Amino acid sequence: MNTPVTEGAIVFRDLTKRFEDTEAVAGVNLTIPRGQICGYLGPNGAGKTTTVKMATGMLRPTSGTAVIEGFDIGESPLEAKARIGVVPETGALYENLTPREYLSLVGHLYHLNRDEAEGKAETFLELFGIADVSGRTMTSFSRGMKQKVLISAALLHNPSVLFLDEPLSGLDANTAMVLKELLRELASQGKTIFYCSHVLEVVEKVCDRIVILNDGRIIADGNVEELKDLTSAASLEGVFSELTSTGDLPDIVRAFSESVTGVKGD
Amino acid sequence: MSGERPGRHAARENGVDWQQLKALLVAGIKLDLRTSRGGIGRGKLPPFVIALITYAVMGLLMAVGLRSQGDLFVYSLFAISAAMFMTALAVIMEYVTIVVHPDDFEILAHRPVSSRTYFWAKIGNMLFYVTPIALVMTLPSAVIGSYSLEPGFLFGLFHVLGGVVACLATAAAVVLIYTGTLKVVSYQRFTSIMTYVHSGVTLVLVLAYFLLPKMIEDDPMLLSLNRGAWVYAAPPAWFAGSVELLTGTGGSQNVQLLLMAAAGSALVIAAAMNTISLDYSRKISELTTSSVEADEHSDGRVRRRPFFRLGLASLGTGSERAGFVLMDAYMRRDRKLRSRVYPAFGLPLAVYLTALIRHDLHSPFVQSPDGNPVALQEIMGLYCIFVSLFFTTAMTQTEQWKASWLFYAAPLEDPSGVLRGARRLVIWRYLIPFFLLLFVLLSLAMPVLGAATFVLIVFPMCLAAFAILSLASPHMPLSQEVERTRQARQVGFFMILGTTMIPLLIAVQLMMQNRPAATGPIVATLWGLAWVAERLVGARLRRKLARGEFTG
Repeated sequence: MNTPVTEGAIVFRDLTKRFEDTEAVAGVNLTIPRGQICGYLGPNGAGKTTTVKMATGMLRPTSGTAVIEGFDIGESPLEAKARIGVVPETGALYENLTPREYLSLVGHLYHLNRDEAEGKAETFLELFGIADVSGRTMTSFSRGMKQKVLISAALLHNPSVLFLDEPLSGLDANTAMVLKELLRELASQGKTIFYCSHVLEVVEKVCDRIVILNDGRIIADGNVEELKDLTSAASLEGVFSELTSTGDLPDIVRAFSESVTGVKGD
Repeated sequence: MSGERPGRHAARENGVDWQQLKALLVAGIKLDLRTSRGGIGRGKLPPFVIALITYAVMGLLMAVGLRSQGDLFVYSLFAISAAMFMTALAVIMEYVTIVVHPDDFEILAHRPVSSRTYFWAKIGNMLFYVTPIALVMTLPSAVIGSYSLEPGFLFGLFHVLGGVVACLATAAAVVLIYTGTLKVVSYQRFTSIMTYVHSGVTLVLVLAYFLLPKMIEDDPMLLSLNRGAWVYAAPPAWFAGSVELLTGTGGSQNVQLLLMAAAGSALVIAAAMNTISLDYSRKISELTTSSVEADEHSDGRVRRRPFFRLGLASLGTGSERAGFVLMDAYMRRDRKLRSRVYPAFGLPLAVYLTALIRHDLHSPFVQSPDGNPVALQEIMGLYCIFVSLFFTTAMTQTEQWKASWLFYAAPLEDPSGVLRGARRLVIWRYLIPFFLLLFVLLSLAMPVLGAATFVLIVFPMCLAAFAILSLASPHMPLSQEVERTRQARQVGFFMILGTTMIPLLIAVQLMMQNRPAATGPIVATLWGLAWVAERLVGARLRRKLARGEFTG
């Protein structure tokens, strides 16, 4: 199991974000202990990415706070940000830089010395199998290649907290397996991981704890077994569907099928 | 720290992280210089270098034009105002890439970069972008002025210095207009007026540029040593007066102008730069990706204009309709796209206003009032033709260019139909209403028949240019990455267009003045030529686009 926990590495207190008349995140309270991998699930538009953006200082909460390793992201942003690594959902990169240049830029932003940053960057790119293209600009990279660079950039400065928003997006099966194992390994070393995803099988395998968000509110919180007990579903997929689905799934599938083929079902 | 270098120490004292600053500056410069993937970017020269070459040619032309000017103040005034004008246009048109990159927020906001560090990095990037433009625009006039004007080398030195500071202040002023607007109006309103700010600033700049010579012409006292109060209201005059003073030929008024130049520049640069932050980059990022809903009903249905319906009815194939509808949606909702094309209308309208003020508008059947074949009206006609160029490059470029895979995956018999439909939308939604407006405006200053004839001459020339220029950008609509050198390329094309279209316009008008009865055949010929150009170019585009590949 993970490193013993004494305090929360990530603490959200009544975290709220309102966009005009929409409440994207509505008073989320969450304490994630050090060394835990916390899966953050929810249907599209539930408020997952908005939570990550507030927790990483990209958006200011309308109210409430996010505290990273004891530093309030609103009051001590630089101290908090220095401790986190982020793989954003958008996959934004300066694509006209080469991976080596991009990682060098990131290394400098986190005050790594040049040799250390370059050494680590080379190793990461080698391990991810993209060292041979590390001198090319990323404009022609595939989604998976860019994702590898983003993951490398998130890990470069050895952060104690990781925010990963769909980190497996575009990755091939081997790299995905490596990353899943890596996350377990990093957690066992005391790193805290906030993992947003729609891929329930992966969340089920990787995460110690799962938080489900719907309409900006936490509707379930526990490990996989606890959630199954809560809903009497046999799998995480069943739990998720039971808690968040707005309609009867077979009916939806039938309606879609009829719409696609034009053939009425029974 | 004892062994710390002075620069680093000063940075640290000011809350700037030196290591981050250096890294951000280097990355920013690389991004400025790197080739983008679309169009000209495939060449060997970086786009920024191509832009600089264009500016250098313009600076040289300006310097050659001024070579016989013996008054140092006037010489410097014209050269510096041209450099300021081009800098302002460059910053207006490339605002979101030069000043604040929309990606900055997504990439940097979660990293431990302070606002001060970011702000200084942006200053550095802006210096990097604006200084070379200022240098290449003013160096030719500095070199020629060093030979032709009395102070010699000293003039060249201070002229360049004054030009660079003036251009930096101009860039800062544009930033200030943007950020200032954002402060006084709500974000929602700001997003609605942003596009019009682009066009408005362009209009004001062009108007000032054309009116200044007229002011001087009307009041020769403006050029005397005892210059009027206007010099205090004209920023280029502050810098020209400063150059005059520093070369040892000025008087007490020049001291005041120098102080105004120094204080004005310092103020505007400090004020503008203090407004730039990562939070501001978020706003810009939201601004560039958010959409305009002005044409939509509350239930989401789009309010279709009559020209849209007419245009749609004129189309044949499904791919043409797809291109038409796609371009219509983007023109309505993509604020960046709108901001790239709307200034095109500001240019001819500004010249129209100038010509109206200067009583330079004349029926094409009669000579211009001063007998000069190239009056402001002809320049306005050229700008009208130039409108098509803005659309030609803008309609193929978008931030969402990767979505164009659809064109290659869909079973299109004739892929060029999509482009044809998009071009048709531009014609129906923009060009036809614009030329109708032009007709109304011209009717205010000349007989209706003259106004109609002028429009009937210029419109087919615009359509022909629209067809021919699309060969320079033979891509599916919205399928190319947005390029930074767009503005410089447009200036280059403008020069080419000017050298071909102005003589044609003059020749056509001369023929009509000599033989009014030939007007009908002339107009018919021009429309016929536009039709032929469209057909020929259409065939070529069909072949080209049939071989096209998705580059994403």
